[in-house]
Amino acid sequence: MKLTSLPKARILVLFVLWLALLGLLAMFAPAFFQPAVLRSILQFSTVLALVSLGQALVVLGGGAGIDLAVGAMVSLVAILSMLAVRAGLPGFLLPPAAILLGGLLGLGNGLLVTRLGLLPLIATLGTLFLYGGLALALTGGGPVPGVPAWLFPFGRGTLGLVPWHFLAFVLPVFVLVALILSQTAWGRWVRAMGFRENAARLAGIPVSRVRLLLYVTSGLLAGMAALVTLAWFGSARPNIGQNLELESLAAVLVGGVSILGGAGGVFGVLAAVLFIVSLKTAMQFSNIATTWQVGAIGLLLILVLLIDRRTVRWNA
Amino acid sequence: MTPFVQARGIGKSFGGLKALDGVDLDIHQGEVLALLGDNGAGKSTFVKILAGAQPQSRGEIRIEGRPVAFASPHDAARAGIATIYQELALSENLNVVENVFLGREVVRRVLGFPWLRRRAMRQRVDTLLRELDAHIPDPLARVGGMSGGQRQAVAIARALDQGGRLVIMDEPTAALAVAETRKVLKLVRQLAARNCAVILISHNIGDVFEVADRMAVFRRGRKIAERQRAATTPDEIVALITGAHPDARTADLAA
Repeated sequence: MKLTSLPKARILVLFVLWLALLGLLAMFAPAFFQPAVLRSILQFSTVLALVSLGQALVVLGGGAGIDLAVGAMVSLVAILSMLAVRAGLPGFLLPPAAILLGGLLGLGNGLLVTRLGLLPLIATLGTLFLYGGLALALTGGGPVPGVPAWLFPFGRGTLGLVPWHFLAFVLPVFVLVALILSQTAWGRWVRAMGFRENAARLAGIPVSRVRLLLYVTSGLLAGMAALVTLAWFGSARPNIGQNLELESLAAVLVGGVSILGGAGGVFGVLAAVLFIVSLKTAMQFSNIATTWQVGAIGLLLILVLLIDRRTVRWNA
Repeated sequence: MTPFVQARGIGKSFGGLKALDGVDLDIHQGEVLALLGDNGAGKSTFVKILAGAQPQSRGEIRIEGRPVAFASPHDAARAGIATIYQELALSENLNVVENVFLGREVVRRVLGFPWLRRRAMRQRVDTLLRELDAHIPDPLARVGGMSGGQRQAVAIARALDQGGRLVIMDEPTAALAVAETRKVLKLVRQLAARNCAVILISHNIGDVFEVADRMAVFRRGRKIAERQRAATTPDEIVALITGAHPDARTADLAA
């Protein structure tokens, strides 16, 4: 099987699954088809899409790359930036502060992986607990209110059916990252080091520096996601990022990125995010309990990976 | 004419072990020099020093008459020494053009991003492959699906594009089928015809006699013999390698 065909094949698989889901809904829950539901899917997609993009970059860069701390970063950035506002940070500085803080937390992950040589799974499992625990400890578990009201339209408003944050954050960053991956030397370096690190090093690619930047980027995207939650909910919640690490990983894998690194594209990830959120929304709509939704994502992951194995065998 | 590389009295010790001792060797442009010897004879150590992968313990290397000290393979590459590694530093998920330029892409900086100049790179690769007479039908095909000989061609094109004036090849035909081996040997001659110097490490005496202009035999860390191809026979070279030749025995006694 050709390596690039993987993301394309995956987008096709997702499209078929999506049609199947729509078919089921048309039969059993036709009320699903209303504009408000579409708006809600996009509203819920932004946070997952942003952290999944960071996750995808880290996984693409190889070296057993994984960022289990994405959710914890979202929580801690939300808390820290709101604590900063309460301590006197001017409100207009909240957006850049949140994104910058995310970058710093991502830098922490990157340094653990590239400088100390920790396995990414272990390093980011550590910071998952560290960042997540800190978010809870700083607030005693309660929310931090006081988000400047001028941010609310960004978190809640829409242009037509599309939320502002989806337009302003998700679309530009996905297009930008897709362009970087396919049209710049940096994108080539990421694919080369993700697939065969040794060859990349021998070719003179600064593998460690690129990898560090991938973790920083994942942090920056988590910072953007945190900002969206602040603008949406009007307060910082210390557990807002819970489960994002696993959901983002599921989106990345379902979206066609190879867990071994080096292969995959970001639009497959976006398609997977939209599908996962649609599935969850559809289950919500059909009164299926939230607890089942988590299991459904697991099933989806296994199903898609099984389809992959079948296709690989057919083509081999 | 000054040889491209002059190595004088090169020695390398690992603790108390002398891996290389007093090696003098000249390498000329347009010439294929084969290094022969048993495993552990010192030829790989010598090549690693030339390629900047290890510093020598003693002796001096001069490039075009000027003494050099390589701190890294990068330094050696800048001096025009390109090494094609046994495990071929290629990325199988990338295509031919991407591999030839990996890490040194031709880019145009716009807004701080290094945008790829695909057409420029493609044209350069087409030219290189044509000059090498390499049979690669589609430069946009992934290297992962290519034969060992085609991969060698990609690696050679890469070395040439880096401005390699000395190309070091370590066992380039080791894992190849007969027809593939012929193609690679042809590529080696093409390199010499382009006035490149080529160092070839090989255990295959037949291959060596087909392409090399000159041979140097290593034994126990020393260079014990140097022969022009026309002035020697495979039997003599094998005897030198195994120690059956009188010259080899003399060298053994001196050591």
